[in-house]
Formats: sequence, C-alpha cells, structure tokens
Amino acid sequence: MKASVLTAARRLPLCTLAAATLLAAAGCNTVSSPVVRFDRQTTNYGDAKAVELVTNEFGSTDLQMIAEKMTGSLLEAGIFQGRPTVTISTVKNKTSEYIDTTNVMNSIQTALVKSGKVRFTRSIQEMQAGVDELTRQNQSGLYKQNTTAKVGQMTAARYSVEGELTSIVKQNAATKDVYYKFTLKLFDVEEGTIEWQDEKEIRKTTQR
Amino acid sequence: MIHALRAAGLCAALLAAALPAAAQTDQGMSPAILSKLATRGDLKSVRVAEIRMARRNDMLVVEADFQNPERRDRFVYYRFRWLDGGGMQVGDGESWKQMPLLGQQLQPVKAVAPSPAAADFRLEFNVE
Repeated sequence: MKASVLTAARRLPLCTLAAATLLAAAGCNTVSSPVVRFDRQTTNYGDAKAVELVTNEFGSTDLQMIAEKMTGSLLEAGIFQGRPTVTISTVKNKTSEYIDTTNVMNSIQTALVKSGKVRFTRSIQEMQAGVDELTRQNQSGLYKQNTTAKVGQMTAARYSVEGELTSIVKQNAATKDVYYKFTLKLFDVEEGTIEWQDEKEIRKTTQR
Repeated sequence: MIHALRAAGLCAALLAAALPAAAQTDQGMSPAILSKLATRGDLKSVRVAEIRMARRNDMLVVEADFQNPERRDRFVYYRFRWLDGGGMQVGDGESWKQMPLLGQQLQPVKAVAPSPAAADFRLEFNVE
C-alpha cells in the first residue's frame, strides 16, 4: 500500500510535466490573428453576397437580385448604343415596409456605370451640389478664369429611369408569404415614350 | 497468406464502392459542362443538363438548366462568376441566389455578364 502511494506520488509530477509540455506545444502551434476583440466575443465578417434568410422582410439579397436582374436586362436589350446619357428619376416604395429604394437604384447605377455602356447625369437630388460648385467656381472670385467650369455646359439626359417597388403580404397562423415586385422603366425624355421596361418578382415564404 | 487475401478482398471492395461514387459526382454531365462548373459537396443527384451561351449586344448571356431527377425537392444555391480573357474575375462577383428545385423539375437560370470584358464564366453551386 505504502509502495503504491509512493509510486503514485512519483508519477504525479511526471503527469503534470507532460500536461504542461502538451499545453506549451499547443500554445506554440496557435498563431494569433490580426484582430482586436474581447475573449469569447463572436463578431466576424461574413460574405456580403451570401443569401440572407434572417427574416422574410426586404433584405440585402433582394436588393442584389433586383439590381443584377435590371442591369442584365438593360445591357442585354442593347438600348445603350453610343453611350447615351441617363438620369435617375423617382423610385417609389409602395410596400408597407421602410425600404431605402435609393439604395436599389444606386446599385443599378453603379453596375451600369462600370459596364461602360452609359453615362449618368446628376439626378434632381444630386443637382444642388453641382449648382453650388459651379456658383463657387464662377462667383467667388477665387479661381483663375481659364480653369473654371462654365455655366450652361451640362449635358442633359436623353433617358430617365423610374422605378417602383410593391408588395403583397399574406399571413396565417403558420405561414407568412411576401411577394415583391420591382418595376423599372426607361423613358425617352424628349419623346416621353417608354423605351425599355422590366420587372423582378420575388417570393419569400416563412413557415413557423 | 490468408491475411493478405483478406486485405486484397477489402481493398477491392472499397475500390468497387468508391468507383460508382466517383462516377456519381459527374451526374452524367458532359466534360464541356463540367468544365464550366464549380460545385461544393454532395449534389444529391442534381445536375446541369444543358448550358447555352450567346453574345447579345456585346454582353455574354448564359442560360443553364438545373435538373432534379429525384422525387425529393431540393434547394440550389448558385451564382455565376464572370471571367475575362485572361481568366481574371470581372466585377465584384454576383450575389448568391437560393432556388427551390422541385422533384423531377428542370429549371433554367439566366445571367448576363456585367461588362463586355467578360469572356468566360463559372457556375458555382451547391445543393441542400
């Protein structure tokens, strides 16, 4: 009995040493990531293009799908021959949700500008900043005459883009179904005719 | 000797089991279609039956037919990745889309390249 206690006592430091060595080895194998966060905090960056299914309200995936569909349809249609000028007009939100529809149009505009097929002019919302800059250059007396942008030289838009987002919501105890429809129209400003139109439908159903 | 025979038998059995599995990953798709796909995980028999490609008004337009030969409904997560002539990605990349694929359904998906620079594409997808 005495001998076995002694053996156990001798083994104990040996086990402790082995465990410490293992821990040290594990520590050596762990490489720090260049992040600043508290322990056990679980904030991480995710894929901005991932399918967002947190709720069935209007989300990032809906915005991205609408923008991709509309951009693709516009470019495929071949309406933009000779890089015409286009301006963004109104985007109506006729759903019951608060949705920043400007964001949808910004995504469409970004994709179209990057395609190199079209030139955008200032929209009504963006015009004041342009007028302010022209006024500053021409009326402040701060700039050399030959470097100022001339008043009355802006290019008018040949086409204007108008859109609207609507929704139909159906709900019972077990299911909520949301149907979105985004309609986009391209008007010829001078003639007032619709030169292109398309829509994107989205159905999202949540089962409880 | 008996051990060696048993081991050989086991290897043969494993190989026989692995071969159909390897063949199944292709789902009977042609090499031309396979060269355009970037898949992840078990495709659960879902296959791309056909891919059509055309250039319309300077833009690359692609249409792919997803086919679910089984009776069970599936969800396909997919996106197109556009590549220029040098194999570099064009644009920031499309958003992922979720598409329900009913049992024994053939569902076409269509995409237009974001720029005339796109010369090729990959269809990325996985199945749930």
